[in-house]
Amino acid sequence: MSDLEYNLSETTADTDRTPPAGRSAMLMAGLAIGILLLGLQLWLLTLALELYLSGQTTNTWQLVLISGLVFLGGLLLLRLLSHQPHVTTT
Amino acid sequence: MSARNLSGRTATPRKRRTTRWQAAFPLHWDADELLSRREMVRWTVMASGALFAVTAGIVGLDYIQKSNTSTVRKAIIRASDIPVGGVHYFQYPTAEDQAILLHLANGSFAAYSGKCTHLSCAIYYHEERKKLLCPCHEGVFDPQTGDAIAGPPQRALPRIEIQQDGAMLYAVEEHPQ
Repeated sequence: MSDLEYNLSETTADTDRTPPAGRSAMLMAGLAIGILLLGLQLWLLTLALELYLSGQTTNTWQLVLISGLVFLGGLLLLRLLSHQPHVTTT
Repeated sequence: MSARNLSGRTATPRKRRTTRWQAAFPLHWDADELLSRREMVRWTVMASGALFAVTAGIVGLDYIQKSNTSTVRKAIIRASDIPVGGVHYFQYPTAEDQAILLHLANGSFAAYSGKCTHLSCAIYYHEERKKLLCPCHEGVFDPQTGDAIAGPPQRALPRIEIQQDGAMLYAVEEHPQ
């Protein structure tokens, strides 16, 4: 493919946009932790379901509390992100 | 080969050149809504909220069920109508919940939930083997304690507290073991 074709490609122009050094790693780390916490919540859900089906539900409110705290943390993160402008350097 | 763009000027190489795969599979970043990390975070938080809601729903459902059925006192049968070694099937705490009452060899009574703790099949008392059996997967429970002693069930049967008031036997409360 020639250089002309590369430069005429209008759809790939934004692929050069990159956040400042270190920011990208932080974002990726945040996302990875978020997805891990999502896995934790899924596990808590299966645990609550198992305890419910077995009738042993004396302490299941703790599972709801932990799951709720994870969700609140996510909301807080979303709120923090909404106050930061998008970084696009082209 | 010299490359010229539409304005006729010679194309100068860019600092960060577009790779071959990016040219072959162009992506409209401006039109894209789901692939940005910010959107990914938003979707993750929404999924987190959904998981939290389902977990809270399960616990809430259990709370509602318990508040409706926890202290139901129900007459079962006259004590004299069930001989030693005999068995009586009844419903407790609701009409949909099978339960089983045993008159044990030592003269005492024991009652358990009639649902197998494996996959909720109905259990029955096998008089020859003198065990509580689940026909679905051959689970076996001890009639003295309700403990699971063979087969796939891992948990004991929930015990139903029995009270004798005069000649009548009453189911008072169900306790998971």
